[in-house]
Amino acid sequence: MEIIEKIKTNKSIDNQTEIQEICLNKLQSIPIPNPKSELWRLSNKSKFSNFLDYSFNEKNPEFDTPYPNTSPSTIRLLIGENYQIKLINKNYSIQQLSEDELIKYMKEQISCFDKNENWSDLLNLSLSCKKNILGLKINGSKIPPIEIFSHASSSSLNAKTLIIFLEKNCDVDLLQVNLGKENSSLSQSTFFCLKENSSVNHGVVSYGENKSNLLNSLNVIQQKNSKYNLGSLHFKFNYARFEIRIKQSEGNAKTNIKGMQITKKDEQISTYTKIGFHGPNGFLDQINKSLADDKSHAIFEGSIIVPKIAQKTDASQLSRNLLLSDLAQIDTKPQLEIIADDVKCKHGATISQLNEEELFYMRTRGITLEEASKLQLSSYFQEIISFIPVSKDRWDLLDKLLTEN
Amino acid sequence: MQSTMKEPDPILEVENLSASTDNLTILKGVSLTVYPGEIHAIMGRNGCGKSTLSKIIAGHPSYNITNGDIKFLGENINSLEPEERAQSGIFLGFQYPIEIPGVSNLEFLRVSTNARRKFLNKEELDTFDFEELVKEKLEIVKMDHAFLSRSVNQGFSGGEKKRNEILQMALLEPKIAILDETDSGLDIDALRIVASGIKKISNDQTGIILITHYQRLLDEIEPNYVHVMSDGQIIKTGGSNLALELEEKGYEWTDNFIQEA
Repeated sequence: MEIIEKIKTNKSIDNQTEIQEICLNKLQSIPIPNPKSELWRLSNKSKFSNFLDYSFNEKNPEFDTPYPNTSPSTIRLLIGENYQIKLINKNYSIQQLSEDELIKYMKEQISCFDKNENWSDLLNLSLSCKKNILGLKINGSKIPPIEIFSHASSSSLNAKTLIIFLEKNCDVDLLQVNLGKENSSLSQSTFFCLKENSSVNHGVVSYGENKSNLLNSLNVIQQKNSKYNLGSLHFKFNYARFEIRIKQSEGNAKTNIKGMQITKKDEQISTYTKIGFHGPNGFLDQINKSLADDKSHAIFEGSIIVPKIAQKTDASQLSRNLLLSDLAQIDTKPQLEIIADDVKCKHGATISQLNEEELFYMRTRGITLEEASKLQLSSYFQEIISFIPVSKDRWDLLDKLLTEN
Repeated sequence: MQSTMKEPDPILEVENLSASTDNLTILKGVSLTVYPGEIHAIMGRNGCGKSTLSKIIAGHPSYNITNGDIKFLGENINSLEPEERAQSGIFLGFQYPIEIPGVSNLEFLRVSTNARRKFLNKEELDTFDFEELVKEKLEIVKMDHAFLSRSVNQGFSGGEKKRNEILQMALLEPKIAILDETDSGLDIDALRIVASGIKKISNDQTGIILITHYQRLLDEIEPNYVHVMSDGQIIKTGGSNLALELEEKGYEWTDNFIQEA
């Protein structure tokens, strides 16, 4: 594994940046993730090895997967393109972070990294060259929806990084799309900083192809009175791991998460979330859905951390899972760590199969078993899909997903 | 059961039907024949097998027919799938209509109606033509158009769910409708709307089986025959007066019939 060799030998990458150097050094001092680590114990070892097997590729060749149609009312950005972004309007501004701002912020972030939790970010930042890091500062309101794409290229490992500063009182819809390619690995790390009173509807859609892998990490810091809504969907990856870390730095913030992963064949897709409340009056409403078919494996592990300072926290985490085959596997572990004594927290998990009575009801109305199953699955998806900020009529990918299932 | 000169062919014939689920025998030799234009009522205590009979006629996959036959329009349907039975004209109105979140009622009704129309070799309806048809049928059950844009039965009151069942019956135009406790959970006004809807939809070419506990539905829709079920069997059949007697004397009175049967 070329990547692992690079880490072990600390062999420098061409034109290595300061951030890359720091991260490579850190990576060197910690073990490669393995099943002995609690956070990686369910991760399929051979699939993870396959993720690391591909040669690292900094280039961004022409991508032949069709993107959704462009819309004049949407801002579209591709990580890896050479942009000079400076969109200034009377209501809003979207500007690229300067190199100094970017380095300063990333150094702060890296200094807070937990060596066990942030391995994916350390790998990403040690591989992401300047060109593949997109940093944006967004300010104002009435901002057109923003779409940001990351994509892998065949037979290689690509790393892309996105950093977003949402300034005070800012309000935006942002859809992030991660596209896998046949026999490829994509490392995507995203860092979101929501300042006071800002609000974002964030969509993350990760769509793979045959034998594509994804290591997707999302780090969010919410200042007080901010509102973070996340709708996510991961499907068609040989191996995908989605790590979400959200920190309400002063409490008094709202987080809503609706996520879903769909696994088929022998795929493994996992979601790990850690939501930390570092002040009072925090709010979380989280639902994670998995749908596992054939011999696939879906994993959800979520933790909610409520220390003593986080009094009056109101947090809910629910894991709902649908098992469509006798050979498919679902592991789910929602958990709470509560020290504060005046909080309202709940969590739960369900694993079920398609509802026989619903199917029978539809069949007594002349709908075939196949159609009834599709309708039931589409109703299962709907709650999540409707939360993703994307205009469905402009993008047939989600329709395709519904049709295929 | 008919005394006309030339007896029409029956719509439904249930012949000595026995059925079980999870190795538990529920129906123990039920026979019932419904001719066009007839309304049958089936009454009986909870757990006597009334709802099971309706589900087996509709093809519920959880039940096994261990003996006997179900014939619909002269054809044995024992091995037909539920959707094939529905498409050919068997309708089951559920005691507890199922909620299907995320599936629009309008689309559900359109897909169902088109499945039936396809079977009848009628042209399938697009959304616009279907809207016209459904508008007309909504009148029958006095339902607001707004119900169509909601998810199937989700957030509907008990009465609204039952009216939605009758709306489906109106759209599917079945040859036989089995209505399982359609009157349960309805207030007097809703009961009248539902009963009037059933009467408007039925005609001399269709058959209806009403499964009920109470006389109040039968006050609105007078049955030609009343059957009393107990322990998986029909133990007594009579005219509409039988229901009145049951109302007056209670099911204990029917225990004598079990010995007779």
